[in-house]
Amino acid sequence: MMAMRVRSIAGIAAALLVAAGALTYAFVTVAGLSDRPETSSPDAGFARDMAVHHQQAVDMSYIIRDRTADKDVRFLAYDIAQTQANQRGMLLGWLDLWDLSKVSPDGPMAWMGMDAMHSAEEGSLMPGMATKVELKRLESLSGRKAENLFLQLMTAHHKGGVHMADSCARTCTVDAVKRLAQHMVNGQRSEIDVMRDMLTERGAKPRA
Amino acid sequence: MTGHTPAPVASAGSRVHRARDIGTLVVAFLASIIGGTGCDDAGGAADPSGTIVQSSSSTVSDTATTGGKSGTKTGFIRGKDGVMNWAGPLIGGHVKKPVKYPMDPPVGGRHHPTPLNCNGDVYTKPVRNENAVHSLEHGAVWVTYTSRAAKADIKVLAARVRRTPYSMMSPYGRQKQPIMLSAWGVQRAVKGAKDPNVAKFFEKYVQGEQTPEPGAPCTGGTME
Repeated sequence: MMAMRVRSIAGIAAALLVAAGALTYAFVTVAGLSDRPETSSPDAGFARDMAVHHQQAVDMSYIIRDRTADKDVRFLAYDIAQTQANQRGMLLGWLDLWDLSKVSPDGPMAWMGMDAMHSAEEGSLMPGMATKVELKRLESLSGRKAENLFLQLMTAHHKGGVHMADSCARTCTVDAVKRLAQHMVNGQRSEIDVMRDMLTERGAKPRA
Repeated sequence: MTGHTPAPVASAGSRVHRARDIGTLVVAFLASIIGGTGCDDAGGAADPSGTIVQSSSSTVSDTATTGGKSGTKTGFIRGKDGVMNWAGPLIGGHVKKPVKYPMDPPVGGRHHPTPLNCNGDVYTKPVRNENAVHSLEHGAVWVTYTSRAAKADIKVLAARVRRTPYSMMSPYGRQKQPIMLSAWGVQRAVKGAKDPNVAKFFEKYVQGEQTPEPGAPCTGGTME
């Protein structure tokens, strides 16, 4: 009799434990906490760094639209500014949802590990980013000269962007992040081709 | 962005199905109370159910829309939801010359550098395929109709497009069905404006996962 009661109490206790566990699991899943990347993860690092990287592409696109009347270049710049501003919003939005800071405690590119070896040029923050001197020069030129410098700077910018996005496509763990990173690789690679053709049309070529 | 080349894209994983997982967890939770069995039951019940949910939904495979497959076979494959998925390679890239597309209306391929504006834009005259395909690459849904479509249906569909950024509408004489919906890599015919598949298609494909260039604009392009 006594033994049976103990056994049934144990059974109820076990059921309650299971229920509590299931509830906790459900809560964590509902809140999305289970797939919240760590602050030092590639996902978080990519979101932070690519948001900065994209911002410069948006800026350069605005500059060239003020410096030339060429329809093709102005549309390319419009497209890049719109696309990268929107993607930047996605990246920053993820950091908000993950409740992570917008700046890395470890500095730019730390999330890329060995991939970060091809690091940024002197005076630029991340691979392919233009220096302040280059941006000033873009602002000082107009017409064909400005177009060519823009296409060269943006080509280098995209190459750096592809390098970073490719690293995330391989090492990030959140599906939506990996997916966007792969779209960036595809889209920017294709745009590099478009810009090479545009440079050729203008009697110039990408920088070595 | 202005161009696209094929490459494998990470497929949507279990997180997409989180809402369904929650339902599963509630069931697992109730089962655990009734059954009073071990902790493993919660996880055990959730996992197989998640798998079933994923395999039973006829999702658009990313390989079909981006040309990630071997590329030898082309043509539409009908999904369980009635949506036709283009199985061959859909290589993007820009050309200023006319493009011959293997389907009507086209759902992808090379295209003009300038997209057709797709910010809820309703065109009453036929548009250039090469511009419209660029819009599909940016995530637009394209509603097309022939002279066989009912005027009332055209009116209702136009109203839907006008209130839906990343959609556009135009007449298209060569298509087989009176009303067709297209997005990058996918297409379907609908019976009329009230066909529930219209809403389903818009919900799934307006800036949907098939979009090769998420975030790219439907404005700033051409209006003709």
